Amino acid sequence: MDALTAENVSSGYGRSPIVRNVSISVAAGMVTAIVGPNGAGKSTFAKTLAGILRPTTGKITVNNTDITRVAGYLIPRSGLAYVPQNDNVFRTLTVRENLEIGGYASKKDARVRMNEVLDIFPDLSKAQEKKAGNLSGGQQNMLAMARALMAEPTVILLDEPTAGLSPAYTDVVWRQVESIAKSGTAVLVIEQNVERALTHAQFVNVLVAGANHVHGTVAEIAKLDLASIFLGRDHAPDSSSPSTNR
Amino acid sequence: MSELFLAIGFGLVVASVLALSAVGLSLQFGITNYINFAFGDFMAIGAYTSWTLNTGPLHVNIWVAMLIGGLLVGVMAVLLNRFLLAPFARRFQKLFYILIVTFGLSLVLLNLVSSIWGDEVQRYNISNQAPQHIGPFLFTVDQLVVIGIAIVAMLAIHFMLTRTRIGKSMRAMSDNSTLAMTSGINTGFITTLTWFLSGLLAGIGGTVLGITQASITPGSGETFLFVIFAAVIVGGVGSIYGAMVGAVIVGLATEVAALFIDPSYKLDIAFAILILALLFRPSGLFSRPGKA
Repeated sequence: MDALTAENVSSGYGRSPIVRNVSISVAAGMVTAIVGPNGAGKSTFAKTLAGILRPTTGKITVNNTDITRVAGYLIPRSGLAYVPQNDNVFRTLTVRENLEIGGYASKKDARVRMNEVLDIFPDLSKAQEKKAGNLSGGQQNMLAMARALMAEPTVILLDEPTAGLSPAYTDVVWRQVESIAKSGTAVLVIEQNVERALTHAQFVNVLVAGANHVHGTVAEIAKLDLASIFLGRDHAPDSSSPSTNR
Repeated sequence: MSELFLAIGFGLVVASVLALSAVGLSLQFGITNYINFAFGDFMAIGAYTSWTLNTGPLHVNIWVAMLIGGLLVGVMAVLLNRFLLAPFARRFQKLFYILIVTFGLSLVLLNLVSSIWGDEVQRYNISNQAPQHIGPFLFTVDQLVVIGIAIVAMLAIHFMLTRTRIGKSMRAMSDNSTLAMTSGINTGFITTLTWFLSGLLAGIGGTVLGITQASITPGSGETFLFVIFAAVIVGGVGSIYGAMVGAVIVGLATEVAALFIDPSYKLDIAFAILILALLFRPSGLFSRPGKA
């Protein structure tokens, strides 16, 4: 069963749509990536799924529940947790307080859940009383993921979780992403680095100019000339090609 | 020496009034990220509501009247935000526009207070009290109650911000409101609650200002607003704990300075402190990252 689906979703700022009729589905226990060139609308789409932007058309469901018109603050309770690319922690709050706030959307006892989450992120366990703003960039990204997991989400949406991190820390973050998926949570990652996406995800959606261009398994997408697609040139799909939405 | 202790004593009273008001202003700023220039008029409405209850036919006890006045201003603040300020803030991204709106609101409220209660100086119905020695200081009972109210309010706010879900949600929203919303915090409810608390503190602050100054006029809140700004900026704009510390610094400094200069220049001392703070530590003693 798909944990998250978006059907023909359009959205943007003001009257000009940035995302146009984008459809995706994200399966439980899998890592699904959205890749695309700069300005493709990846982050705008993520913000629409998270309830920051209202879709002008289309439908979004989590666990088969329609969340298209649900108030933004209720979306984490519906099972979708969002980790933005920038400003993803409460800098003036401690690590512990950040985690507590993540747990507000969960029905589980906050202390029990915090212990479970800190087991996944042992580095954070040692820094519970530190202000989040004093953590390194990589640690802040870990805290952001940990805060999102506090809500026990069905789907976790990560917007470029490794942007600006060192290669060593990028590996650490991706290992965590994979382990989150293994625990049964559906993971949707917005990723600029195609190579990374193809290495760690099972399914890939390519977004170009605000629209679905192509989607499929990693093996299917790896066969395509992504550089040409990113530059706006068509690839030539044959009968064995992945799905296209042009 | 005894004059110095007298000045420090009254400085603590002024600091108490300032702390109540400055924390109220900072709470609201932290959530909305704009300064409410009508805050002084909120104080005046609280002060006059208490005066009406205290000196009218009901002869309500001044402290009960203060609480009722505060609650009324709290409700008024929520309604003004909901139906006037929030729609403007949603429509105009630039803070300049919303500041102009709060300026306009201030003028409207000032004239409203004048037309309802008149421009004459009014006084609460409080019996004259002989000051009591407390160590080297001299305080009247009412002054001690004002200090007590400020201490209890500051402790309650500290407890709320650090121990309760609502307080942590307020701090989270003050830090990053979009992230707070996507983390499951009902930001609309927290905004409403913050405006209520800010109005409550303004109303209480207005009444205790009238008690400590032994007079209320329609413009007393507006005049005091500049001293509140000094305390807020010294402490760090938007920082609740900064506002508390700034209130003590400005309150004590203005009263102690009055020993050496003409007391009518007290407001200028507050301005001088504000200018020094802006010159040497513009972000204040407790600056918050990511905020103005």
